[in-house]
Amino acid sequence: MPTAKLSHPSACFSLTLLAWVISGVLSQAHAEGYELQQANRSGIKTEAWSCKQCQSKSGHSGDVSATLAYNDGEDSRFGNRTGTDNDGFVGAVGADMVYKTQSGYQTQLIADKLGFDAGSAKLTTGRPGNYQINLGYRGLANYNHNQLKSPYTSSQDKMLLPDNWITGGTTQSMPMLQSSLVGQDLSIQRDRFMIGGYYAGKISPEGDNNSHYKASLNYQHEDRSGAKKTSANILTNSVMLAQPIDDSTDEIDARVYFNGTGWQAGINSQVSQYKNDHQAMQWQSAYTPTFGAAYLGQNAVDPDSKAYRVAAEASGGANGQNVLMHAGFSRMTQDDTFIPATINGPSPVLPADTLDGQVDIIEMILKYSGRITQDLSVQASYNYQDRDNKTAKLDFPQIITDSINQGSAQNSLYDKRTKKLELKGKYRFTSAAYAEAGYSRNENDYTELDRQSVDESGVFAKLSYRYSPAWSAWLKGEALERDGSEYDPVTTTQSQSNPWLRKSYLADRKRQKVTLHTDYQTDIGLSLGASLHSVDDDFHHTQVGLTQVSYLGYDVSAQYALSDDLHFSAFVNQDWRDSDQAGSNHFSTPDWYSTAEEKSTLIGAGFSYQNLFDNHLDIGLDYSYSDGQSDTEVVYGITSPYGDFYARKHNINAYAKYKFADSMSLRVDWLFEKYQDANWQNQGTNWDTLPNVLSFGDMSHDYNAHYLGLTLSYQM
Amino acid sequence: MNKFAKMSSKFSLMLALVSLLSACGGDNGQDGNPGEPAKPPALTITSLKVTVDKVQMIDGIAQVDFQVSNQDDEAVIGVPSATFIAAQLLPQGYTGAGNSSEWQHFTAETCAATCPGSLTDHKNGHYSYIFSAPFNGMNGVTFMPEATQRMVVKIGGDKLADNTPLPITNQHYDWQSSGDNVAYTRNLVTIETCNSCHSDLAFHGSKYNQIETCVTCHNSKKVSNPADIFPQMVHSKHLTGFPQPISDCQTCHVDKAELAEQQNWHRVPTMQACGACHTQINFPAGEGHPAQADNSNCVACHNADWTASVHSDEDKTAALMQFSPSITSASMDANGTVTVAVNLMNPATGSVYSDSADKLKFINDLRVYANWGTSFDYATRSARSIKLPESTPESGSNGIYTYTIAGLTVPAGTEADHGGLAIQGRVYAKDKVLVDCTTELAEVLVIKASHSYFDTAALSSTGRRTVVSNTSCGNCHGDQKLNIHGSRNDLGGQCQLCHNANMLADATAANPSTTSFDFKQLIHGIHTSQFTGFENLNYPGKIGNCTQCHVNDSAGISTVALPLNSAVQPLALDNGTFTSPIAAVCSNCHSATSTHNHMAQQGAVFAGTKADATAGTETCAFCHGQGGVADVLKVHPIN
Repeated sequence: MPTAKLSHPSACFSLTLLAWVISGVLSQAHAEGYELQQANRSGIKTEAWSCKQCQSKSGHSGDVSATLAYNDGEDSRFGNRTGTDNDGFVGAVGADMVYKTQSGYQTQLIADKLGFDAGSAKLTTGRPGNYQINLGYRGLANYNHNQLKSPYTSSQDKMLLPDNWITGGTTQSMPMLQSSLVGQDLSIQRDRFMIGGYYAGKISPEGDNNSHYKASLNYQHEDRSGAKKTSANILTNSVMLAQPIDDSTDEIDARVYFNGTGWQAGINSQVSQYKNDHQAMQWQSAYTPTFGAAYLGQNAVDPDSKAYRVAAEASGGANGQNVLMHAGFSRMTQDDTFIPATINGPSPVLPADTLDGQVDIIEMILKYSGRITQDLSVQASYNYQDRDNKTAKLDFPQIITDSINQGSAQNSLYDKRTKKLELKGKYRFTSAAYAEAGYSRNENDYTELDRQSVDESGVFAKLSYRYSPAWSAWLKGEALERDGSEYDPVTTTQSQSNPWLRKSYLADRKRQKVTLHTDYQTDIGLSLGASLHSVDDDFHHTQVGLTQVSYLGYDVSAQYALSDDLHFSAFVNQDWRDSDQAGSNHFSTPDWYSTAEEKSTLIGAGFSYQNLFDNHLDIGLDYSYSDGQSDTEVVYGITSPYGDFYARKHNINAYAKYKFADSMSLRVDWLFEKYQDANWQNQGTNWDTLPNVLSFGDMSHDYNAHYLGLTLSYQM
Repeated sequence: MNKFAKMSSKFSLMLALVSLLSACGGDNGQDGNPGEPAKPPALTITSLKVTVDKVQMIDGIAQVDFQVSNQDDEAVIGVPSATFIAAQLLPQGYTGAGNSSEWQHFTAETCAATCPGSLTDHKNGHYSYIFSAPFNGMNGVTFMPEATQRMVVKIGGDKLADNTPLPITNQHYDWQSSGDNVAYTRNLVTIETCNSCHSDLAFHGSKYNQIETCVTCHNSKKVSNPADIFPQMVHSKHLTGFPQPISDCQTCHVDKAELAEQQNWHRVPTMQACGACHTQINFPAGEGHPAQADNSNCVACHNADWTASVHSDEDKTAALMQFSPSITSASMDANGTVTVAVNLMNPATGSVYSDSADKLKFINDLRVYANWGTSFDYATRSARSIKLPESTPESGSNGIYTYTIAGLTVPAGTEADHGGLAIQGRVYAKDKVLVDCTTELAEVLVIKASHSYFDTAALSSTGRRTVVSNTSCGNCHGDQKLNIHGSRNDLGGQCQLCHNANMLADATAANPSTTSFDFKQLIHGIHTSQFTGFENLNYPGKIGNCTQCHVNDSAGISTVALPLNSAVQPLALDNGTFTSPIAAVCSNCHSATSTHNHMAQQGAVFAGTKADATAGTETCAFCHGQGGVADVLKVHPIN
């Protein structure tokens, strides 16, 4: 209960801040029906809340640290774990410092791994609960591959081959291929810069003591750089490329909220703009042109775009009845100049210079929750969303892979309107047992898809029982059925789909979900949790397409605190998903069938032991193992299994922190990762294995990598 | 199904297996007695029916159990010989991305005086054959139990012990290890489609007469020359002399629901199948087409819809469906001037073109021909015609316009007879629609010509005898797809308007019949490779099978039967002589001197006076007439 939390000794916040924190989750609290304003606060002696242990100190506090580490960067993928892909010695600094004055002003600097690609820093100043300004930086790095090779190098909007390149009809007949290979780095670095702040206060200093407002404004600029895997082709000859990425996103978020006893209202708005430094990707063909003089190809890149959103919401209630209303409007626009339909030969005239694309989204949410009696509560919610593509429909010339003029085609304007209704009731039989049941209906209207409308209805029931103070368990079952209007394959595609095909996201489906969960908590520090879940999807009217998916999983976790300083934890999680598909080689009823069996296992264990050697040493170790694999088998009379598709990983994360002086400590981190993956699609291939695909070859990883870091900290 | 459900279903399957085992507990492992109850023995045999009951593998060796019965489903016992062919089908894409399914020959074993395996006659119409050795490894082919297997049983071509001849019969049976429910097939064309032009195809001493048999040997595992693999072989054999546009794949690859893979012709393009017609292309060398090492890329450019659109008349047919001219009334005055009313329809919309032909710019040509005298095969060899786009109608409005055709020859005393009319034309079209003649890249399409008959007062259903029809010609030539003189394609009634008995044969020729442009002489001469210019024509069917072209008359009797229709005129020779009608038409094919002598002895007149040639002295019908000892309907291989 919230009141219990309020009286907890660690509630060392000012009341104003606490109110804001809670108002931030107000909508959720409303949904659950335990609204804060219901608490009887008349008898509370707020002055007794002052926290002796965390009495705010003025002056400086915190720590600064410097890290020197050895990082194995041979395979950059390990960097996703360490935050840097540098091979060898690397350095970073960290800080967590606060400066406070007696009057309540506070300035905080937090820095983490600053010096690594994935480092961050944040400077905050102001009076918490009244106003605050913050300035921040955050680096995010995603490393995919650094060991792939290709003859291509990038230069602005161009992907070029060496000057002495000699084209070939096939990859095997390119004499310069082997000698021209250069390393390719497929990683993406994101640098985020944030500035923002808020101002908050009471609406009327003399009036209702519980009415507040808060206005905030935040701006974020994100630069993205790096390269991603892409492919390009002219006719049937294709190349894999490390396409350079250089773009930026600017976002502004502004909001004003008001709240008082039992109510909250506000508006918020976001504006964002995406800018791509590249206008197109031109690439030099490695192949001898099939027709004419097609030595260059050109692909479009992500166009510049803008979006904004305005939303308003209000919630309130009394006597156990609560209502939440939300309405929002978003608009996304895109008017980047088109690139020509082809650069090989005269390009046909385009019907417009830009797409002048516009998509509007209107959304609305209505929620009611009420406690009818002491034991019975109900909830109802209605969501409405309308996506309206207002782009003009035009006849565009269709040039297939820069080569063949296939006449013209119109752009499809996919619209979607969703209406969701949910009704739930919860009845508490005793303090240890309750039952919950509900009904949901989800109606979707589409345009230009094979089905005009798809509706799903479902019911669920949940039974929860606390057997003893230590043991509790709940069981939930849900059944859903999806159907819709007549299935009528679209005729706008160049090749019509098999009339028996039912696309899985539009097909009739029966779904059954069962979840069983149990918790065991003792007062000797041991807690256990286990759950079992299954989902069965039956696409009962599908002849060709996805026909059945069955999913089963369990997880078990345990924590044991042997003492205040020694903690153990372990977990196991396994999931299986089998998907059955039927296909037709003769464009009719099914004649081949495939089964994809996916399996994932996650096992982990660890411990931490603190305050050893007279509070001088903390040590800890975590180990985890994950294994994900997929086995696909196609049966077309003869059974043909696909090849390897898996990823396996062992991780060790160990540390020891030794405090060798009152304010100085040294920490040693050892990270180890053993990683292996394989994908039959490129396993064992080379640049020239396929005559018409100049690929990166085998893209699998197989490495054992270590990180050893020494961090010296100074406690202020 | 989730894991638990799977486990439980496996468990129930185990239970079922256990109960099955106990149910079969008393089985001694021997085969059951095949063929209960027995059929009565066959008394006469006009056709044979082979039914394959099953194929089972015993220690890797196949045993095929089959029954033989006659047309009345009576058991045929004592079949003296049989051939068994076994092959296996690899599925589409199995031998490489983009490859079609492919047959693999195991063996062909024949049991006659000697037998490599063992053939058992169960003496009740049931037979069993055990092959000489396991299929696996035979002919270098690995036997795959899950693959579609084919067993062909060929019997006949010899006689039972009592000298009853057995017709040659091929029967195939597709199976796989779990029974006859095969996962995939390769059924592209039916023999009926072939035989619509070829009559009764049979090869290798007439032993093999079904496509399903041909493919079991004409595959890469049996023939040494790749050009003899079935698809390539059949495509290339039809490249020359094909009697209709070769580019329309659906002439042979007909849409038939029973053919599971009927759409392979446009859905599974391969360099082997396509290259057999596109012979100027060397795919691996990159000559005539970008180099392609294999079939994996074909569909990337040649998608199914594209291939279908360039190899079918779909666009043209759609455009032609928008124009249909017809003659709605006709009459003739005493001067031989015919007045016809012409109506121009759009059948696609059901509406009428309100303008007359001279104002419709999508019409390239539209002509109406007229000739008189249907009861005596027309009065003149040059029928009168008018060109509608160049003629202003005499009268008319709203889609029906009247024209006159002057100067028909009406011999005295034939005023009560009938005349023939034919209408033919061409239109401009582009992208499935009719377009103005000035449209760039417009294509000129020939419409289906048609004919009608009239008397002096009105259109009439009575007219010239119908001997051949567009349907019967279409069996080989397609539905009015054979255009002669540019746009004449109504072979059933239009050609005869000019190609009639007024045409003169070369009297100096060894066989004058084959030199006349009179329709019956011309057509017989062409299809027997005797007419000048057609010496290389290779008639695809049995030339003696008259009904491949000839239709029945209104009484249901073949128009080949004697006596001939009284309208048939004697053959006119260019020296003023005549040959009597039956002799003239029969001698076109039956040209030996001895045969001529036989005809002359029986009253035929060769190169005599017109009076003699029309005196009715021919007595052919006495023996060759219907029911006669040598009825032409019986002595010809008509079926």
